[in-house]
Amino acid sequence: MLSDDQVNEIIIEVENVPSRVVPEKTPVNSSFSMVSSISDVNVTDSQSFSSPHDKKSKQLLRFSTSLNESFSQALHSRRSVGIDTPCTSHENIQGQKLIASLIPMTSRDRIKAIRNQPRTMEEKRNLRKMVDKEKSKHSHRMFELNCCAQCLSSISRAYRRSKNSLSELLDYISLWQKTLKVIGSKFGTSVLSYFNFLRWLLKFNIFSFIVTFSFIIIPQFTVAEKNTLQFTGLELLTGAGYFRDTVMYYGFYTNSTIRHGNGRASYNMQLAYIFTIGACLIICFFSLLFSMARYFRNNFINPHIYSRGIAKLIFCWDFTVTNETAVKLRQKNLSTEIRENLSEILQENVKLTLNQQLIRLSAHLAAWFVSTGVAVACCVAVYYLAENNSEFLKNHKDPGAVLLLPFIVSCINLAVPRLYSLFRLVERYEMPRHEVYTLLIRNIFLKISIIGILCYYWLNIVAQAGEECWETLIGQEIYRLLLMDFVFSLADSFLGEFLRRLIGMQFITSLGLQEFDIARNVLELIYAQTLVWIGTFFCPLLPFIQMITLFIMFYVKNISLMMNFQPPSKAWRASQMMTFFIFLLFFPSFTGVLCTLAITIWRLKPSADCGPFRGLPFFIHSIYGWIDSLSKRPSYLWVVWIYQNLIGSVHFFFILTLIVLIITYLYWQITEGRKIMIRLLHEQIINEGKDKMFLIEKLTKLQDMEKRANTSSFTQERRDVEQPGALYVKEHDAAFDLRFRRSVQEENPKA
Amino acid sequence: MGNKQTVFTHEQLEAYQDCTFFTRKEIMRLFYRYQDLAPQLVPLDYTSCPDVKVPYELISSMPELKDNPFRQRIAQVFSEDGDGHMTLDNFLDMFSVMSEMAPRDLKAYYAFKIYDFNNDGYICAWDLEQTVTKLTRGELSAEEVSLVCEKVLDEADGDHDGRLSLEDFQNMILRAPDFLSTFHIRI
Repeated sequence: MLSDDQVNEIIIEVENVPSRVVPEKTPVNSSFSMVSSISDVNVTDSQSFSSPHDKKSKQLLRFSTSLNESFSQALHSRRSVGIDTPCTSHENIQGQKLIASLIPMTSRDRIKAIRNQPRTMEEKRNLRKMVDKEKSKHSHRMFELNCCAQCLSSISRAYRRSKNSLSELLDYISLWQKTLKVIGSKFGTSVLSYFNFLRWLLKFNIFSFIVTFSFIIIPQFTVAEKNTLQFTGLELLTGAGYFRDTVMYYGFYTNSTIRHGNGRASYNMQLAYIFTIGACLIICFFSLLFSMARYFRNNFINPHIYSRGIAKLIFCWDFTVTNETAVKLRQKNLSTEIRENLSEILQENVKLTLNQQLIRLSAHLAAWFVSTGVAVACCVAVYYLAENNSEFLKNHKDPGAVLLLPFIVSCINLAVPRLYSLFRLVERYEMPRHEVYTLLIRNIFLKISIIGILCYYWLNIVAQAGEECWETLIGQEIYRLLLMDFVFSLADSFLGEFLRRLIGMQFITSLGLQEFDIARNVLELIYAQTLVWIGTFFCPLLPFIQMITLFIMFYVKNISLMMNFQPPSKAWRASQMMTFFIFLLFFPSFTGVLCTLAITIWRLKPSADCGPFRGLPFFIHSIYGWIDSLSKRPSYLWVVWIYQNLIGSVHFFFILTLIVLIITYLYWQITEGRKIMIRLLHEQIINEGKDKMFLIEKLTKLQDMEKRANTSSFTQERRDVEQPGALYVKEHDAAFDLRFRRSVQEENPKA
Repeated sequence: MGNKQTVFTHEQLEAYQDCTFFTRKEIMRLFYRYQDLAPQLVPLDYTSCPDVKVPYELISSMPELKDNPFRQRIAQVFSEDGDGHMTLDNFLDMFSVMSEMAPRDLKAYYAFKIYDFNNDGYICAWDLEQTVTKLTRGELSAEEVSLVCEKVLDEADGDHDGRLSLEDFQNMILRAPDFLSTFHIRI
């Protein structure tokens, strides 16, 4: 099908539309892969980067048929000066289609769609104007719905405006934007992720504090009894003494129903206490769940396609780094990493002998054995220390002696993770990220076991020892642990890192500056947050204390970072790591907290003469009592019904669990089906490429034959092609001056 | 709501707000940053839509772009004529795409254009060589550079035509979830 134009041109268009394997929802990017070398015609791609001498294309606005196809078509839509008319009408049809697809959307979706268009500002503005014009034309026709539609549109506009101003306000009070920018500019996204995590945890604590402050602390202030104890400075560290009879601890709260003004408004402190703590935890739970789901969705798309990562190194340059020395350093580090990656790839084919594999396996097993053994030993030590602590305290009347247990726990938390890092010298891993994950798992196991053993001790021994006000005692213990942890972190930042810098710069200069250990610092944050969540029940002011702690830690870590650290040398997969950290925050940490509190509320006997639940056989009996009192009032029977049939009923939970399991199973099967689809489509892409190569070879042979047959008929105009890539040059030579149009159905029998 | 700014008309500001990921306040802040680059050139009144372009040299002197190895390509991709001189529209567009609210596909599209040095719609081996050279600042030898380009094409080229199309690039970005946070300029 040679057309007799003044320039004989044949374009090969291979349309990559899978014919039978068409999934319903995945956007079908019909990309026209152009393999053509056109003599006179400028191959311009889209307005954004048209060649400088093709200004005519600017007048024509090109849109794509659907929003999903806009990307590849924007890149590949051909603009030819010679072949004008069919193109412009084609473009206009596409433009109409896009506008038509935008009109029926709600204004929020429309704005989102316009924003996501890969077009220049002018095009987007014109698109918006056109859509608005069409929309008003349509709405003129519909008189009946005019009133409602206008109402709704004005409401939605007002809502959008208020949302914008709210987000502006939030930006205004958003903490530390400038500081984060400075950190990011020097150290990059990976270190920034630690500070973002800290800021995110701060939001949790601010929220918990606001809720507890409004609903239990303020009411308690109104009926506060006078504090007869003396204040000495040591209380700030030990939490005992003067603080025992303040709103800080559970024991201070009244169990009465607060009445003001002749019984008009009554406030049941018992219910308020349990519901407030419950509400805090439930909202934290959902917030964690949604964050985790969002991170999973963004970051765990195709985990089974693992690449060696050299493409990632090249294309994921960190644009947030703007400091000159940091950029130079990063470039140097990138070169080193690329070299390492290349050598890994070259060595990849080297298989290990059986002997070497056995040695590696035994090294791993030994390391795991030792690390688990150390963790268990630490737990046992902590347990015995806790048990003997009470006797020790009776013998030594020094009020500072209570700090011994927190001190030992903090020392363990300081020393053992560094011991685990030393295992790196013995163990060898195939992939560096296995090393990071193993270290993280060992550390989290240590920290969670220590918290676990302490909870066991508190709930089984302290709570049932018959001591007066055991909840306050537990609250004080948690406060001390938290504070000692904070003091150790401060000491580490001020002294430890500073000393390390002195050593690295002055004495052993080969060491150089250290790098910020993101994993260890994040785990410390998770540990502290777990303690806060457990402790909120026994010490309602704990979120406030943690808020102040995090605030101070941010500035301390920031200053230490700027002074004592150098930017990271290796690529750190910040997004995957963040997902893992949030998962850790949810799975051992928050679920452990829920278990502990569940055991407390359902199984333990409150102390007899302090706190809001004094005298009850179990904490949960406050709820039972409330339901009983409600069942006597006829207007609240629906609450009683909900409680008895939905919350208290086994059948309901059984059916709910069954439904959830069925849905999970169905989604799992859908995911499996999609994975198979992805694999098939991937294979299809590879086959298309092979077909393309095959066709090009055939064409060259054809062309050679024809050239030999008619040497004089064809004019050979060679266009200077700048791209020197070998394959590309070959393609150009092969397909030059040839233009065919074929559809894929004929050439792809494998679909 | 009650902003007493005289730079833009209300409609202009609304249009900017709808076409970028920025709020009104951020747009004004960006305008003043733009104006600071060339105070003599950029008028303080944009209601008449003046046709003003800030030259590339001033754009590349911004602290956010000054040391970026790809600053020239970024300016070229987002400028109207591909020469690096940017109008206010281009400027806002650029920072809107590079902000943290832009979705992955949009960022991948523009990243693809930035790395496509010869503007032919594909990232071929030559483009990759340019990218790697800019990234490593001459630390790697020529052999290493070509080896790297080969490996990248091996990994990412789905249809084996010797160069990366937009789909290949997007597919590869899916496997690199860090892309969303690293392709981000904070202003």
